[in-house]
Amino acid sequence: MNARKLMPHEEAIELLPWLINDSLSGDERDTVLDHARSCVICRRETKALENLRDSVKRVISPAPIPAPDMRNINARIDALIHRQNLGRRWLSWIAEFCVSPWRIAFVAQTVLLVVLGTAVLWPTTRNAEFTTLTQSQDLADGHYLRVVFSPDLTHARLGVLLDDLGLAIVDGPSERGVYTLATQNSMTVAERDIALTHLSNHRSVLFAQPVDLGAAP
Amino acid sequence: MTNASNANDLALLYRVGRGDRGAFSELYRLYQPRLYGYLRRLLPDPTTVEEVLDDVMLVVWKDARKFRGQSAMSTWIFGIAYRKAMTALRSEIRYQAPLDRSTDANAIADKTSPDIDWIRAALVHLSPDHRQVVELTYFSGFSYAEIAAIASCPINTVKTRMFHARRRLKVLLPALAGQAREHDRERA
Ligand SMILES: [Zn+2]
Repeated sequence: MNARKLMPHEEAIELLPWLINDSLSGDERDTVLDHARSCVICRRETKALENLRDSVKRVISPAPIPAPDMRNINARIDALIHRQNLGRRWLSWIAEFCVSPWRIAFVAQTVLLVVLGTAVLWPTTRNAEFTTLTQSQDLADGHYLRVVFSPDLTHARLGVLLDDLGLAIVDGPSERGVYTLATQNSMTVAERDIALTHLSNHRSVLFAQPVDLGAAP
Repeated sequence: MTNASNANDLALLYRVGRGDRGAFSELYRLYQPRLYGYLRRLLPDPTTVEEVLDDVMLVVWKDARKFRGQSAMSTWIFGIAYRKAMTALRSEIRYQAPLDRSTDANAIADKTSPDIDWIRAALVHLSPDHRQVVELTYFSGFSYAEIAAIASCPINTVKTRMFHARRRLKVLLPALAGQAREHDRERA
């Protein structure tokens, strides 16, 4: 006599897919099999699942798997390491530079001049930006990216790329194929610039440009 | 997974985390066939598959240091692939007028003999969540506990998704269920 506790039908029938893929633990497997011996529904279901699995496997087994090609991934890792090294070099340069208070004062003065200069020249720069790309009437004030993707970029790939960068399409494509991108919440300049660097280095991006609308923070 | 192979995996990943390109190459070659097969069955376009696979391996390179061995390395890597595949599947639906999905469900169910297009069309009618659980179970051979770890969801959610996927496939592919019943009768 079998001393194992009988498994209820509802529990057993749920586990059948993993019985046929042979991933149930020994005890669980034996308990499901015990149940199936006395349950015609589970036996029939097992057969149906095996049949489904075999048919699906037969028809959608992928064509021969290509040999690993690491050229693309190696180039991406090289670029990543290069960016990290560049960042480290900048940090150490800044640390070295800031040992003297005179240098700090010089940097502060330069930054102030740049900020004032930008404020004075702002309206001209803003008008200039809109001469190259179509302008959307409906976008709220904020920082955006305008991007032209390569035609070979698939929808799936586009989704993965945008998801990686936390971006969404908020407008476009325009007649010239220009998309306007933003983050879900309003994007800061720093976030926008990081996304811009990634997009500019991406092989499926033909063109990427920052756009500031209105008095965005 | 045996303890020895788990220890080997951990050692390999540790080297990757230390920036060892040789170790990364080894890991890439180890996982490329399984990941390619998994992604290729979910995504229609081979170029997308190769790019998503590289996206997965780039995350492995970047995050290898963060892996603490809470799960098997294969579960961790497939968890990354799952999320990338999910985004790609959802994007297909969101950005494209999906030709495959326009196939009438009744027309699929009326077919009496299995062929490639017929079964493909039925699978496309499953939601991305349901398709993934079918794929990870039937083709990648994961247990329900491993799938729960890969999909970052409770075990009961995995079982429920599989239950709904089975029910949907039964409606879409009644001929397969019918063949099973005939087979059953023959054996009885
Ligand atoms: Zn039963």
